[in-house]
Amino acid sequence: MKAMDLTQVGAGREVRVSRLDCAPGTCQRLREMGFCENAMVRKIRGGADLVCWVCGTRVALSARLARQILVETVDGNS
Amino acid sequence: MSQDQPRRWIAVVGNPNAGKSTLFNALTGLRQRVGNYPGVTVEKRTGTAYTLHGEAIELVDLPGMYSLSPRSPDEEIARKVLRGESDGIPQPDAILCVVDASNLERNLFLVTQVMELGIPVLVALNMVDVAEARGVRIRPGELSQRMGVKFLPTVATRGKGLVELRAALGQKLSDPGERRWVMPPQLATAVGQIAAAWRDALPAELGAEGRALELLAGGKDGPEGARKLAAAWRERFREQAYDWPAAVVQARYAYLKEMLGQAGVGHGQAHLTWTDRIDALVLNPVAGWGVLAGILTLLFTSIFSIAAYPMEWIDIAFSAAGGWLQGAMPAGLFRDLLVDGVLAGVGGVVIFLPQILILFFFLGLLEDSGYLARAAFLLDRVMHRVGLSGKSFIPLLSSYACAIPGIMATRTVEDPKDRLTTILVAPLMSCSARIPVYTTLIAAAVPAAVMPSWAKAGAMLGLYALGTGTAFVLAWLFRKKMMGGGSPPLILELPPYRRPSLRTVALRMWERAVIFLRRAGTVILALSILLWFLCNFPHTAEDPTERLAQSFAGQIGHALEPVLRPLGFDWRIGIGLVASLAAREVFVSTMSIVYHAGGEEEGLVQAMRSASWPDGSLIYTPLTCLALLVFYVYALQCLSTVAVVRRETGSWKWPAFMMLYMAGLAYAGAWLVQAVGGMLGG
Ligand SMILES: Nc1nc2c(ncn2[C@@H]2O[C@H](COP(=O)(O)OP(=O)(O)O)[C@@H](O)[C@H]2O)c(=O)[nH]1
Repeated sequence: MKAMDLTQVGAGREVRVSRLDCAPGTCQRLREMGFCENAMVRKIRGGADLVCWVCGTRVALSARLARQILVETVDGNS
Repeated sequence: MSQDQPRRWIAVVGNPNAGKSTLFNALTGLRQRVGNYPGVTVEKRTGTAYTLHGEAIELVDLPGMYSLSPRSPDEEIARKVLRGESDGIPQPDAILCVVDASNLERNLFLVTQVMELGIPVLVALNMVDVAEARGVRIRPGELSQRMGVKFLPTVATRGKGLVELRAALGQKLSDPGERRWVMPPQLATAVGQIAAAWRDALPAELGAEGRALELLAGGKDGPEGARKLAAAWRERFREQAYDWPAAVVQARYAYLKEMLGQAGVGHGQAHLTWTDRIDALVLNPVAGWGVLAGILTLLFTSIFSIAAYPMEWIDIAFSAAGGWLQGAMPAGLFRDLLVDGVLAGVGGVVIFLPQILILFFFLGLLEDSGYLARAAFLLDRVMHRVGLSGKSFIPLLSSYACAIPGIMATRTVEDPKDRLTTILVAPLMSCSARIPVYTTLIAAAVPAAVMPSWAKAGAMLGLYALGTGTAFVLAWLFRKKMMGGGSPPLILELPPYRRPSLRTVALRMWERAVIFLRRAGTVILALSILLWFLCNFPHTAEDPTERLAQSFAGQIGHALEPVLRPLGFDWRIGIGLVASLAAREVFVSTMSIVYHAGGEEEGLVQAMRSASWPDGSLIYTPLTCLALLVFYVYALQCLSTVAVVRRETGSWKWPAFMMLYMAGLAYAGAWLVQAVGGMLGG
């Protein structure tokens, strides 16, 4: 289990959110959109801005924001 | 139900893309009213629906949202309406939550918040067709039982479940019961105390726990005791560095996950669908821009080419009506007023209706199909440089056709500061009404024989670039420097691609057409009459050129001459500027009258080229033409835009600011042209 941020995850991989490291308002918005601590996120597309699958929907994020989402790999998916 | 009993109000809430508008349209049809909440640029949409028993109820469609904790003005408005604190809308008697059945976890998050308001809640479990196709099992009965509010399955696009929904809306809905999610102990103590203080002061009110959470988050309404208690707890949590809002979100999600698991409702697996395959192309850093360029080309070709036909028919119709009036009425002032004032003025604006309809047809298709979110995503990084988000791009682009639909299209921009900035700079994008002014002045500056057509096109392009460049600089100035903060980092849901619903698109076009025509029939009608009056009174001379010179407009032109002189403009140009306040293209027809040039552009260009100052020097030197062009790039010579900005921002403050800053820019720009030109010896 290695801590990294969402931009470092390869496309197609599924990871678990371990911590959010952003301004309180932004954090709250991310959580409400499903990026809670412990939520499972699958990265669909990488690139400068990225698209993830979270909580049953596709959500696009700017890279700046994705760097503030710390994630960990889950066993059997590394 | 008796006639004089006030109608019941029902608020419709839901996540964006849950199908809320579709359901709202299905329930209310054409019985809708669109307006603005006082003082803010948030659209207020209400409509009348009928229950199965024929009782009329009022629905208010709240902005789509993910959460009730107010952070954006949209959410603040929603909270106010739900609390009954919004002017003109009584506190709702019930709340209809629209949720996407294929994505329950996130959609029900909002429902858990709504249930704490102390108002009866009914949940429309929409998109069950999509959920079933994804293999999600839909169990409304199970969900109703576990959450304590009624769930009804619907497919809004096909009208399925509407009968049951209208039946349920006619019945008395029960209050949501106890909170089901588990509050962390630390927070539960605080909320318990604050809620108790609230209940002591206002025992009749329901939803004290929801109120307590609101107070804890910094809410300001409530009994003094509860407020003080909340402030004390807030301070204590801050000292302990306890992030209670995060804990609440997590607790709600934890409850939902478990509840959905027990109810046997999973959410769809994350597998690649054809939406992802389309996205692979559409969001590709290279191909994506190609797709966007293709779509925009199609959009603009349609706006300029297809719209040309109906525009011509409207023109012919208005001319025919004018001709008929000429013949049918005795000559006189009243006839002139009808023909030259009313018909010409209103006709000059109604002629843009086809462009507006086509634009909204395309925007409707793009939005309803899910593409607009992708375009915003693609453009976000570009727009971010000036502090705006990707969503401002389409409105700005639309403003090349006409600022009015462009400004109306800013409704898709959610961030209110972004929206205001977009509205403020939209008129700087050269609209099609400027084209006749540009061509006339370019021709007056340089004889057609000397100027090859590529140079003309280049000059046009330069004018467009000047307007666009200035718009971006000012957007940066307004958004980043004056309003502060820059737009929030992008978090954007990309809905799955869907076949757009033509009914929704048609409704939207109809709505825009009504708004537009209503304005043409009121504000613009009044302004046209006023302008006609200014140009024709005092009615002393029979000769139109003489009459215009002596008219109020002419007097204003003379009065303006000292101010306009530094720009190289004489009083005749002053008349043109005054007359074209209502619409820029009027400049050309007014100048034709001023110079006695008849209806043809060539005659006018000839007359302008030989016009001179009393000392014999030419008025329309290339430099003055350029100054006048720059003036028209910048000046807000369009009262319809002013009227629409007033409507969209809900106050006179912004249109006034816009008029002033653009006039300042126009004057300074034209002056600079003369000054620099003079220095270079031109
Ligand atoms: N398949 C399906 N599509 C729906 C349903 N309800 C709405 N839609 C579509 O979902 C998209 C979003 O709907 P809209 O009403 O604009 O969502 P809103 O953002 O919640 O107002 C549109 O393309 C609708 O045509 C439904 O029950 N089933």
